Amino acid sequence: MKDLKYLIEFENLLEDADNRLVREAQEEGGFAIGYTCYHMPEVLLNVDKCFSVRMRAPRTGSIDISTYYMSNYTCEFARALLERGIEGGYQFLDGIAGVDACSAMNRCYEHLEILDCNSKPHFFVTHTDVPYKVEDYNVEQVASQMRLRVLDVMKERLGVDVSDEAIRKAVEEHNEMCRIMTEIGDMRKLDNPPVTGYEYHVLCLVSYCCPTAKILPYLRETLEEIKKRALDPKPWYRARVAVVGSEIDDLGFTKLLEENGAFVVADRFCYGSIPGREVIELNDTEDVVIQIARHYMKTSECPRYMADYKVAQRRTTVDRIAREYKADGIIYEAMKYCDFWAFERPLASHILTEEYGWPTLSVDRSYAVRSSGQLRTRFQAFVEALEIKRIQKQKEA
Amino acid sequence: MKYFGGCDVGSTYTKAVILDENGKMVANTTMKSKINAEESARLAMAEVISQVPGLKSERDLAYLIGTGYGRNKVAFADENISEISCHAMGVHVTNPSVKAIIDIGGQDVKGIAIDTDGTVKNFAMNDKCAAGTGRFYEAMARSFEMTLPEFSKLSLTAKNVIPITAQCTVFAESEVITLVGEGKPMDEIAAGIQMAVAKRCFVMAKKAGATDSITLSGGCAKNEGLKAAIEQVLKLKVVELSVDPQLMGALGAAEFARQKGLAKKA
Repeated sequence: MKDLKYLIEFENLLEDADNRLVREAQEEGGFAIGYTCYHMPEVLLNVDKCFSVRMRAPRTGSIDISTYYMSNYTCEFARALLERGIEGGYQFLDGIAGVDACSAMNRCYEHLEILDCNSKPHFFVTHTDVPYKVEDYNVEQVASQMRLRVLDVMKERLGVDVSDEAIRKAVEEHNEMCRIMTEIGDMRKLDNPPVTGYEYHVLCLVSYCCPTAKILPYLRETLEEIKKRALDPKPWYRARVAVVGSEIDDLGFTKLLEENGAFVVADRFCYGSIPGREVIELNDTEDVVIQIARHYMKTSECPRYMADYKVAQRRTTVDRIAREYKADGIIYEAMKYCDFWAFERPLASHILTEEYGWPTLSVDRSYAVRSSGQLRTRFQAFVEALEIKRIQKQKEA
Repeated sequence: MKYFGGCDVGSTYTKAVILDENGKMVANTTMKSKINAEESARLAMAEVISQVPGLKSERDLAYLIGTGYGRNKVAFADENISEISCHAMGVHVTNPSVKAIIDIGGQDVKGIAIDTDGTVKNFAMNDKCAAGTGRFYEAMARSFEMTLPEFSKLSLTAKNVIPITAQCTVFAESEVITLVGEGKPMDEIAAGIQMAVAKRCFVMAKKAGATDSITLSGGCAKNEGLKAAIEQVLKLKVVELSVDPQLMGALGAAEFARQKGLAKKA
């Protein structure tokens, strides 16, 4: 297939946290609010002149300084963010909206604040609680946290309009972006798809890391381009895989998989689209923040939710998407020292293999995989095993 | 007669095998890897080709498959296959009754469960760290001022095992030097090292789902002390292979080449 018109442009946007579109938006009077987690509804950070930037640590090298502050045995993602913060990589942010989801990220936020990693006078770091269950009283509690600790703080520090009207407007824009991403994402279900998993990962990341209003025109055009894209006569992949797990903002991970013939058909990982790019349905009767809080809590697949129904939801979701996207196998991945996925990954991958019958590969990984020979070998061996099984099944049929 | 090649470019040793149409091994070699993987592959292939009358270059092979750490660098190969699949196939053609492998190479340890047709059923592999691998043993032998073969036999005479807590090459070397300095018996320290690595192998084997009929492959399969320690932790006798276990990756690659080459011809 011919390269997408904006692929290189998108890749360039992901080379820096304060990319060209972020800078443009700020020059026009916008405020960049950093966040790291699905538990923080990005739409609430997109009201009025504010725009959300999901924080990444591109160009991360050694993470020794953050390791000094946070110790060896903490999530590498949190450490990489702190390292970039110490290096001045988040000077552009006007605020950070954090969640008390995991202790490593809490410590990252805390150090970003204590170590004065941002010198803007109005800069703020705020935190909200995240419950372990999704019950009506939890939804109300989360909504109240969002008002008190996010919206009110943004209004007070930045003087922005956080009215229900402003929130609804942000949801409308968000929904348009979600519809585009879903339409492109659904094309991955085709046997000979017009988009690769790598390209979709790039699109997904720019949708998280750029101001929505700025990236939307590019995404609209890319959707039309993909719809008309001339396909290769035969699919390029050797096996189809669903990737499930913790945070992946490293394009190298998807690239490595696809270089070894594994088409990433479904992205059920943090910074992926499942969940993340579903339309938020709002009614006109209930409080808008409560509706948004409920949407994020119900769609969340985070292993921090420990209630039985959430544990079951995570397994059935993986099984469902693997079937819907016609995956041959599932890759469970976890960032090294991720508190929650350290439990979820081995257990869920075992259950998906033994009880649901899916071939699975379970990997733990560093924040940036780069040239990991071992990971390359594991991916290739998994693809070879899936391919052989599929050929054998076809022969039997 | 057509010939088929497999070239396993490992991080420390490069191995090559040539099979004839009937699957008989007609040539093989094992040589120290160069820093340049492509050069290693060329030298190994030149060596095996020189062993088969009538073959002049790798172009005379009907099909050639590259495998191992440097598999992408075997530029003249028809394709490359991961060493996990190749070790499984190599062991399967050598002894079809074997159900699992512990492969200890130069920089990684793998547990591989084999299906009845020689394909991979399941596998587990260490991450970046090279603890308990060939590189680790090279460092340990250096600390003992011994050759690898001498070191591999040292633990067999030990009456006790002195536990080694570190498997990181750097920390283990430091721990060993301390123990030697304290005057502890060398063979007992060596037994501790072998036991530590054997435990790591146990984990990989169990993660891959290995239960019985297990063999060892890779260069470290020749380490007698390690083999004894693995048998102790697994509580079973590992299956001896009739072919050099270090050649299993190259043999598997050559067997895949034979199957693919013959299928292509048909």
